[in-house]
Amino acid sequence: MTSLAERQAALVAALTSGAPVPPGFDARLVETARVALLRKRAGEVARQWPELAAALGPRWLPEWTAWAAARPTNGSLRDGWDLARDLTASGALPPRAGAELAVREAAMHYDGRTAPRPRRLPALRRAAGAVAVQAGGRVRVLRR
Amino acid sequence: MTAYGVGIGWRPEIAGFVAQLPGLRFAEVVAESVHAHGDLPIGLTDLRDRGVAVVPHGVKLSLGGAEPVESARVAHLAAVAQRLGAPLVSEHIAFVRAGGVEAGHLLPVPRSREAVAAVVGNVRRTQAELDVPLALEPIAALFDWPDDELDEGAFLTEILEQTDALLLLDVANVYANARNRGTDPAALFDRLPLERIAYCHVAGGAAHDGVYHDTHTDAVPREVLELVTELCGRHRPPALMLERDGAYPPAAELAAELDAIAAASGYPVIT
Repeated sequence: MTSLAERQAALVAALTSGAPVPPGFDARLVETARVALLRKRAGEVARQWPELAAALGPRWLPEWTAWAAARPTNGSLRDGWDLARDLTASGALPPRAGAELAVREAAMHYDGRTAPRPRRLPALRRAAGAVAVQAGGRVRVLRR
Repeated sequence: MTAYGVGIGWRPEIAGFVAQLPGLRFAEVVAESVHAHGDLPIGLTDLRDRGVAVVPHGVKLSLGGAEPVESARVAHLAAVAQRLGAPLVSEHIAFVRAGGVEAGHLLPVPRSREAVAAVVGNVRRTQAELDVPLALEPIAALFDWPDDELDEGAFLTEILEQTDALLLLDVANVYANARNRGTDPAALFDRLPLERIAYCHVAGGAAHDGVYHDTHTDAVPREVLELVTELCGRHRPPALMLERDGAYPPAAELAAELDAIAAASGYPVIT
């Protein structure tokens, strides 16, 4: 008999990481919950990253779903940030979403693994053609 | 317990609407959205100064997790309760993480003796750090575990009896679970210690592909309001509050939902 801890971990993995549904569960209902969870996360990330979601328009939900299906949440701020960086790396970040990312990159230091924290030194960052500069904690968009 | 009547879940997006409710005496705030030591959001300070009871509602303690509840999270909940002068706090009978991975949602625990023991242990650890009572909320679950030993009434009653916790009964969750399982929602009322209810949630949802989702972003269905009336006919809880978490409608629609809860429960209108 596996422990409650192991069984809970297996269920979370099925819902967030693409792992198989543990034996005995109603696979159709667990799949319903998995999809509902991705949609709920999409709404939360869109609130944190409104320009990213708006710039992707009708592609937002499919882009998000494909990206997030096997990535458990690190909170909506980091989830949206990671997605925006991945889109930047593949040249797919829409120009209209550039300023939002550039502003955050200039304002905060984010190592991709732990919570972002405010920068102490001035910084200039670019994303998808947009440019943002930060000094003394104040951020300005130089080009959208 | 004080009868507060109809209340609402305070959210930053509807803070202006909530501030202008003349009869409001009860509100709830997501505990994790409040700083334990920094400034309180302005709307919350005003409510507290007006004498509105503001209850912190935790969503990330993971009381149903097999691992012991994290002490820093419990300390935060206790500190927020103190800052708000809250008469009680609430959390869910659910787990939200396992093996170091966040689920991003409230997940059901199996209705087994082993899970009862895990929940009871975590509730007691939490109660030990709190100055005020803790109310536990049964969740809406889209699926059940394959090896449930207890029915929902026995499972919840067992936890409440062993911990002496209060009950936060979400009428919309009762409706959602019964509808998705094909059972009678009011039947659960006969199995629960209704006198232990601290307050109730009332929320909206929507059906997709034959499954009812407790979304908190849709209107409150007529069936949920009828269930409120059914519950209040047996034992009227001290407070019933609207829980809305997004896709906020115009103020007139929110006010109409609050009035509908007042009508269904027999409490005075607060709009």
